[in-house]
Amino acid sequence: MTVMQSFRMALKSISAKKMRSFLTMLGIIIGVASVVILVSVIQAQNKKSLEYLESQGTNKLTVSAYRWTGGDISRDLYDYCLGLSDLVVGVTPEVHLYNDGLSVKYGTHTVSATAEDWRKSGQFILGSDQYGLCNNYKLSAGRDLTRMDIDNYQNVCVLGGGVAETLFNLVNPVGKSVTILGTPYTVVGVYQKKNVDNWPELDNLILLPYSLNRTLGNNQTISEYSVKAVSASAADVAAIRIQGYLSALIPESSGYSHVQNNNQSMDSMDEMLMAQSLVLGGIAGISLLVGGIGIMNIMLVTVTERTREIGIRKAIGASRRSIILQFLIEASVICAIGGIIGILLGFLGTLIAAKLLLKMLFLPGEGITIGAFAFSVVLGIIFGLYPAIKASGLQPVEALRAE
Amino acid sequence: MLIELKDIYKIYREGEESEVRALDGVSLTIDRGEFVAIVGASGSGKSTLMNVLGCLDIPTYGEYRLDGAEITTRTDAQLAQIRNRQIGFIFQGYNLIPELTALENVALPLAYQGMHMQQRNETAMEALEKVGMALRAQSHPSELSGGQQQRIAIARAIAAHPSMIMADEPTGALDSKTGKQVLEMLQQLYREGTTVILITHDLSIAATVPRVIRISDGKILSDEMQEVDWL
Ligand SMILES: Nc1ncnc2c1ncn2[C@@H]1O[C@H](COP(=O)(O)OP(=O)(O)O)[C@@H](O)[C@H]1O
Ligand SMILES: [Mg+2]
Repeated sequence: MTVMQSFRMALKSISAKKMRSFLTMLGIIIGVASVVILVSVIQAQNKKSLEYLESQGTNKLTVSAYRWTGGDISRDLYDYCLGLSDLVVGVTPEVHLYNDGLSVKYGTHTVSATAEDWRKSGQFILGSDQYGLCNNYKLSAGRDLTRMDIDNYQNVCVLGGGVAETLFNLVNPVGKSVTILGTPYTVVGVYQKKNVDNWPELDNLILLPYSLNRTLGNNQTISEYSVKAVSASAADVAAIRIQGYLSALIPESSGYSHVQNNNQSMDSMDEMLMAQSLVLGGIAGISLLVGGIGIMNIMLVTVTERTREIGIRKAIGASRRSIILQFLIEASVICAIGGIIGILLGFLGTLIAAKLLLKMLFLPGEGITIGAFAFSVVLGIIFGLYPAIKASGLQPVEALRAE
Repeated sequence: MLIELKDIYKIYREGEESEVRALDGVSLTIDRGEFVAIVGASGSGKSTLMNVLGCLDIPTYGEYRLDGAEITTRTDAQLAQIRNRQIGFIFQGYNLIPELTALENVALPLAYQGMHMQQRNETAMEALEKVGMALRAQSHPSELSGGQQQRIAIARAIAAHPSMIMADEPTGALDSKTGKQVLEMLQQLYREGTTVILITHDLSIAATVPRVIRISDGKILSDEMQEVDWL
């Protein structure tokens, strides 16, 4: 009996009992689908995070610092960074505004912070003259904010490429006046679009002088900053220096400070991805294992039910090997079909989950797809082995006597 | 000498109160090309004897030589090959596999020989033609009458052209007319040179077989040759 013939035989037995075969597969289907979905969603999440970090450029430090009492450290940090001029090229506060009804208008066009289409919603940010530098924005027209704008509380703004297109279409926005919360602001510059697939909001930036925090930000405490270093090694040194300075400035009892080096975040992304994939993939793998035990259970029932058939086959010349092969192939084919259905479901689930959770279009990679399929076939072989050996060990006379 | 049994015992639950000696010291020889009937009452040990002769069962004690080679020491795989190539079985209950078509059932022993699809189907069709069932090749056993199923089973037994046919009460479940057709097929096989061993409890059937071995309680009572009208 060739393997090909055994395959045809296996398909025959499986299709003879469709409902049972499907129920047997269910465990594998769910197991494979959940492995594929969980691992893929993590990969999607990491891809998105990495894209974000990359869009920010290298050598960027993210600084969190505030006092419980609310005293602003923006000036202190700015002055300290000036002293690090051989290491640091820029520093900016980053305040994200979420005021009710926040929007920017020009003529009949509006970009709202809470637009229905998230891809179109504006990101209103308070920053310094070095915000663009720190976050890897390049001017396409006009100028950046200036120290003067900040010191004089000027009603000016710099627009991201996306917002500029939406509001002005083909008109040059520089020098034009837009309306934010009823107040006119002059557009002084426009940034080039970054066009990062999964981060359209990066191009929907409306950058305002951080001194406007008094009015626009309801004078909330500024706690987030970005610092741009000249090089990777400078970023490492600057991170340590700034952390040391902040720790001295804000004792633990009076506030909080933390410096994160984005270079390192990028480096650790792969490790994190690996660790998360292993943990979640492992958990989902357990459900696959349970599915495998289901296979063994059904195969044992099948062997008992088909004792007479096994007896007939042995009587007319089937060797133990042929019988083992027959049942092993049957178990593997069930698992393989379950695996394929599970992968299809996994693709669908990943598509939906990535869309809903991460707002991105993402499909499982070939590694996880092939891995999940191979794993389900191996499960079929492992859990089919015992029933198959049991079937092959039946004595022909005994088996023929069975009803 | 094709078959040589020497002091064969098949003992169930040996040594216990309820010990059964299904075969109790059987010795016999059967030559190539013989037609032998094994007769006896129900429970006398006929099927057990056939199972031992057909390498489906291992005797508890004794020697069994087939074609001059000892059988009792063979491996499972060797016995499977002997059953596959040298022996064709016909059972009272047909023992066809219900999920397979007539053709697939007949082709199964050939598949276990590793024969390829096309040759296998041709050979199986020849066997079906021989038993007059070629037109029902694609039928499943459940669509066939008992007599037709038994003819499929005969086709399966002869498909690999074995040197021996062993039939255990092949007519037991059939009406007398179809039973007679089955017997005629066995007689035809015998004429073609196949060794045929027929097991029956029916004395009128035994009367048509050239050599009759009577057994009772696992022992041979008599072993006689007789004239038959069809030869
Ligand atoms: N597996 C078994 N366990 C115990 N006793 C058995 C077994 N198989 C057969 N026997 C007994 O052996 C005897 C012979 O059985 P069998 O060869 O089937 O008889 P026959 O075919 O002549 O009717 C019977 O008494 C039967 O009950
Ligand atoms: Mg019997």
